Amino acid sequence: MLWVDKYRPKSLDNMNVHEDIAENLKKLVSEQDCPHLLFYGPSGSGKKTLIMALLRQMFGSSSEKVKVENKAWKIDAGSRTIEIELTTLSSTNHVEMNPSDAGFQDRYIVQEIIKEMAKNRPLVDAKGKRGFKVLVLNEVDKLSREAQHSLRRTMEKYSSSCRLILCCNSSSKVTEAIRSRCLNVRVNAPKEDQIVNVLEFIGKKEGLQLPVGFAARIAEKSNRSLRRAILSFETCRVQQYPFTSNQAIPPMDWEEYVSEIVSDIMKEQSPKRFAYSYTSCLCENFTFIIRKIIYISHCGDYFNFGYQPDTHSILFLEVLVVHRLLCIFCIVLCRLFQVRGKIYELLTNCIPPEIVLKRLLYELLRKLDDELKHEVCHWAAYYEHRMHLGQKAIFHLEAFIAKFMSIYKSFLIATFG
Amino acid sequence: MTKRNAFMVLSSDEEDEKSSSKLKSFFCRSDSKGQKQPCFSVPRSRSCKQSRIADEFELFGEDFKEVFTGVKVSNGSGTGTRKELWADRYKPCTFEDLAVHKKKVDEVKAWFEQKIQVSKGNHDSNVLLITGPAGVGKSATVKVIASHLGAMLFEWRVPTPTIWQEHMYSSNTGMQYISKLDEFEIFVERIRNYGLVSPSITGRPLSPVILLIDDLPLTFSRIAYTRLKNSLHLLVRSACSPTVILITDTDHSDSANDTTRNFEELKSFLEEVGARKISFNPITSSSIKRTLSKVCKQERCHVTAEQLDLIAKASGGDIRQAIASLQLFSINKNVSTNPTLSDSAERKDGNPSGILFGRDETLSLFHALGKFLHNKRERESTDFLDEDTFPIRDKFSRLPLKMDSPEKVLCQAHGQARPITDFLHENVLDFIDGDAVDDACVVLSYLCDVDVLLAIHQKNFSKNSDTEKVLQSCAASIAVRGILFGNDHPAPPRWHSIRKPKLWQVEKTALHNKDKLLWQRDKFHHSSDLSVIATEYTPVHRQIQHKQPDIRSATSMENSGAAGDGDDDTSMETDAFDDDEIEDW
Repeated sequence: MLWVDKYRPKSLDNMNVHEDIAENLKKLVSEQDCPHLLFYGPSGSGKKTLIMALLRQMFGSSSEKVKVENKAWKIDAGSRTIEIELTTLSSTNHVEMNPSDAGFQDRYIVQEIIKEMAKNRPLVDAKGKRGFKVLVLNEVDKLSREAQHSLRRTMEKYSSSCRLILCCNSSSKVTEAIRSRCLNVRVNAPKEDQIVNVLEFIGKKEGLQLPVGFAARIAEKSNRSLRRAILSFETCRVQQYPFTSNQAIPPMDWEEYVSEIVSDIMKEQSPKRFAYSYTSCLCENFTFIIRKIIYISHCGDYFNFGYQPDTHSILFLEVLVVHRLLCIFCIVLCRLFQVRGKIYELLTNCIPPEIVLKRLLYELLRKLDDELKHEVCHWAAYYEHRMHLGQKAIFHLEAFIAKFMSIYKSFLIATFG
Repeated sequence: MTKRNAFMVLSSDEEDEKSSSKLKSFFCRSDSKGQKQPCFSVPRSRSCKQSRIADEFELFGEDFKEVFTGVKVSNGSGTGTRKELWADRYKPCTFEDLAVHKKKVDEVKAWFEQKIQVSKGNHDSNVLLITGPAGVGKSATVKVIASHLGAMLFEWRVPTPTIWQEHMYSSNTGMQYISKLDEFEIFVERIRNYGLVSPSITGRPLSPVILLIDDLPLTFSRIAYTRLKNSLHLLVRSACSPTVILITDTDHSDSANDTTRNFEELKSFLEEVGARKISFNPITSSSIKRTLSKVCKQERCHVTAEQLDLIAKASGGDIRQAIASLQLFSINKNVSTNPTLSDSAERKDGNPSGILFGRDETLSLFHALGKFLHNKRERESTDFLDEDTFPIRDKFSRLPLKMDSPEKVLCQAHGQARPITDFLHENVLDFIDGDAVDDACVVLSYLCDVDVLLAIHQKNFSKNSDTEKVLQSCAASIAVRGILFGNDHPAPPRWHSIRKPKLWQVEKTALHNKDKLLWQRDKFHHSSDLSVIATEYTPVHRQIQHKQPDIRSATSMENSGAAGDGDDDTSMETDAFDDDEIEDW
């Protein structure tokens, strides 16, 4: 079992972060009833842990005995029947599911399946009290608008027998109507020192020696995601133990891949390419480059790289500039094509395209000139929106990259040309 | 149904006669000196059919009758006023009438002369293979030459197919079903053994004999195909009189069809075996025009030169088609007394592209894609700034295209927006010059627009198919035009193969992997978000198992297995997929 699961707090009493929320939730359930709940907050902040603990608080340990069911539902939608397969996790008192798994058919799930589940339940529990069933819906923000609308209706209609616990990353993608019908619980990303505390706690439990500042470095790298921190902590442990204080904290492999893409986009060409790019630039009539090259070749022998940087420092700079320009111009499309292959690789591994785009932008911004940042961000936002409207993410990702290349090129021309 | 039954009764009346004579005659039709000596069984059934058709015309509406009063379709019994197709009536009888290029005719003629003169001496094959598109006058040429040489022409035509009811009927009377292929084999066998001796022509043994095989039997299975090939081989080897085999070229657009492929193969096979091959080209529109105007003169109908030109162009080198069009056209003119019809006829005349006839020209998808991607343009723009064109900035102006409007090409290729876009997206980068990032950016942003357009109807489940159609065609048009416009600096032309979109495979694998992830989620991670599993858990698993295989061996096995399987699967799927997809086009 991964440490993330192993050291997940089981009850509201021993939460290591968000103790205040836990306290409030305990008070809330102590009165036997609770409103609909909407947990929202960034990923890795502990929403899920809170929900599990809350369920345990409500129903005792029976909530942990879950069974996984994969069921195909047949839904009669007017003229045709639709078949949807959906996996649910259920215990006697609660059902948990990800309605957004059904993609664009999610509204049928909300309309039919949830209704079905909300209806069919024993209303009286062992002690003779009116019980209620809890439905946990994950990734509510990924539901389509229609689905959210029907969810609203379901909430009203079955509120007497059923409580909904919704969980999502961004509450802004949940309609106002749903938000107002729920008690909103914001779960913040834990602070870095909180993460350090948790890591040290785990380290103590595992009997590990933590060098000073190591946990802090992991916490810093984790981008305030507790899950991420614990996962990379475990990875470090597997890769090298005993820890050294300057041990590298490995990034996720896809992140490395994205930064590879970025360096591909911005990379300089090796000198081997020079002859080719020179001719191709000739064809393209980039007179300014040619002027520079002629100038340089008058001054010194560029092509055998035999000059000393300290004696010809100005010349060297020039050469670098020209070189860099040439690199940008030639075979860019070739590279664009390579980039496409890499993005395909990411998509095959089910990395969500939004996350790819986000990471791409993040990496680009790290390397960019301040002047360009604004424009690049603008286009990233534009294409992210497009991506949501569209169907095939690759079209939009690629368009963004091409746009960036074009901007970057004209920037370089303007600056160095 | 009733129609067919009625027809059945009629034709089966003569079945006895026909079947008794069938084996002997092999539907040989002697055709000497241009005069027809019709085969004995065919015309009767034809007249029966015709009367049926005439009856049916009675059933149609008044308009239709009015149109056809122009032609006067009389009952089969009528003789004097009976009209036949002009294409038949104006069959070429002399070399001057032939619209085929003179060189080709001479070539064929020379071959015949040589064969007839030294008919026995040499060991060259006596078989000539003539290929060409439909309606370029292959048979006509042979017939004209035969009559010129005074040769007797024997024609083997594919016998009329046996209908199922017919078969049922005749099987009661003890007739066995004979496949057309069998008939062909028997025929070839007979030709080889006995030559073309048939009782009707024994009186005139001196005139040379030419055998014309107009149509080969269709073969549907590999075995049948091999049999056909074998009997053709025999024929080529041992034919004792000059034999001509005609094979019609089919359009390449539907070459996915198995039968046509077989014909292609057959052609090269025949050539290999030793048959001489002469291929005819489509007839030039000028010579079609000449023939048409001759026909017009004889029919005394007045068609302007422009209209003739249009008809000739629309026929695509098919002279039979052209003459048929002309006939239809002149019918329309004859009934121009009817106000509504004349209206439409006038409209037709006014609008040149409105001429409804002409061959249906289709393009294969790849042909169309090639047109778009190669983006061929005129060298310089023909300045028509004088008219109502907008003044365009230099940045946005492009040279005129060297093709029809993109929408028309799309329409001809029967392309659907989504696959077209995918194909373009996959291939377009190859065709843009390596340095032109800006172009790539423009092209890709257009494709991105298209994707958004296409997604609209997908997401809205629009019941309205009209909206969907409009969206689809808009999207396709934007994709194509975007690519044509954006690719301002095309790469220097060279050979590119058009790849199948990798995207399809990626999507498939992604789905596959998603299922794997879902399964994993159910097993190990209590329903966390899928993206979290993909971005965080799986990489960590990978890293951990890399170093320490004994940890979570279960999952690691699963994972590595999944990865390995995935790869194998995809590679295998690609092949299968490839075939399937391409076949579908």
